[in-house]
Amino acid sequence: MEEQDQMQSSIEVEELEEQQQREGKRLEEENVVRFLDSLDSYVTLLDSLSSTLRQGWLELASARQSMGASRINGALLDLKFHSAATSLQVTHHDDEILNQPHFTLCKWASSKNGYGDEKLRENKLQTNSDGPQLRHRSQFAEKIPETKGAPLIVDDQVQKERTKSLSMFGTLVSPKLRAAQLSFETALETLVEIANVRLTMLSTSDQVRKELEGTEG
Amino acid sequence: MHLSATEYGPYLQNEPSPLHTTTIVEKCTLKLVEDYKHMLCQATEPLSTFLEYITYGHMIDNVVLIVTGTLHERDVQELLEKCHPLGMFDSIATLAVAQNMRELYRLVLVDTPLAPYFSECITSEDLDDMNIEIMRNTLYKAYLEDFYRFCQKLGGATAEIMSDLLSFEADRRAVNISINSIGTELTRDDRKKLYSNFGLLHPYGHEELAVCEDIDQVRGVMEKYPPYQSIFSKLSYGESQMLDKAFYEEEVKRLCLAFEQQFHYGVFFAYMRLREQEIRNLMWISECVAQNQKSRVHDSVVFIF
Repeated sequence: MEEQDQMQSSIEVEELEEQQQREGKRLEEENVVRFLDSLDSYVTLLDSLSSTLRQGWLELASARQSMGASRINGALLDLKFHSAATSLQVTHHDDEILNQPHFTLCKWASSKNGYGDEKLRENKLQTNSDGPQLRHRSQFAEKIPETKGAPLIVDDQVQKERTKSLSMFGTLVSPKLRAAQLSFETALETLVEIANVRLTMLSTSDQVRKELEGTEG
Repeated sequence: MHLSATEYGPYLQNEPSPLHTTTIVEKCTLKLVEDYKHMLCQATEPLSTFLEYITYGHMIDNVVLIVTGTLHERDVQELLEKCHPLGMFDSIATLAVAQNMRELYRLVLVDTPLAPYFSECITSEDLDDMNIEIMRNTLYKAYLEDFYRFCQKLGGATAEIMSDLLSFEADRRAVNISINSIGTELTRDDRKKLYSNFGLLHPYGHEELAVCEDIDQVRGVMEKYPPYQSIFSKLSYGESQMLDKAFYEEEVKRLCLAFEQQFHYGVFFAYMRLREQEIRNLMWISECVAQNQKSRVHDSVVFIF
């Protein structure tokens, strides 16, 4: 009877150990998958950034062709002091898995308008956070959301800020210049996403390396 | 390398490699200016006045460049380097001290050929981006109308050919003003005031263009005019990217036709405009090469003859 009890408890202990090993392996595999996912996202975003910038530079050249070199050149850039229309915020999350900073782009937000971070962001590529969202625009003509009136007001203000920043080249500018502005805006958003994804990639890479070293040890 | 075998070759041969797009454009423009001055110094009245009229557009662009750059606290020397050489005049640097249009006129422009064009836009309002834009377009409108009247006075084949070319220019400007002002603070009345008082679109087309809120409405207006129907038929709905090229192609076609007739001054205007188109082509090609996007060369190159 005692022998049977001992055998049963040793079987239970073995089963528990096996379960723990399986759990440990599952976590290792999860980390590897997370690392590979972030690597894939990183490479995809780099490619997207490259093509967006190429498109932006060509659109700028096209705008120059259309409006003339005297209307689009570096000598017209405004050197007067003014507050930044776009800023980058760094926040820290208390996530146990990914204890890392998170970058957020605050576009077209100025103290005059009072439009804070919460209204102007949308994140296309969601990371492991409840972080703010970034807005992505790929067309000059805005797609007006169907739901509420507030987003329409925000879109109008954003459009005004965009027009204001282009006004150094004149108030009546070609649609090509506006398209170039949108392309560079998208490229800036992509850059911030790349920074976030890179942080995730480095963090998961560290974890995988530690686990491998632990296994070898 | 290819330009070395052309008349632009001597202007570029001493430039260090790699050649930048701005250098190519600058040197080709220098060649154009020399050719223009060669024609001007051998011209008598009224051809010399006709040739001078061709440069007033560049003068207006230079004035606006200096005023805008000064508003943005840029150095005057830097701005002068960016001015088009065909539009230079003696007191151009003094533009930097003017605070409003009245001062612009009184201090500088009263002694230039642009003086008569200022009567419609002299105000004491401070110069800002919107006022400068309105000033630019008002000046250009006055210039085009004055040039048109001058050509009508010359009469004959010059009047006939230049009337067609300048009307096309006025109509193109009306379309560009309409499209570029969509979504801006420019009111309908202000937009209408910037359209010239001649051209195929005057006056009924202008009435309709003044109220257009998007590109498709502009297309709807322009398609009622047969000469412009062919231009807009090349574009898909909602598209405006290829509109410039379509207009340039139509302009080049009309400029080439100017050489079919004899004994008129329109050939000089056509020559200068076609040379400017050639330089625009070179600028686009060199941009595509510099950006490693050679497949996009045909997006904006306009073939001449």
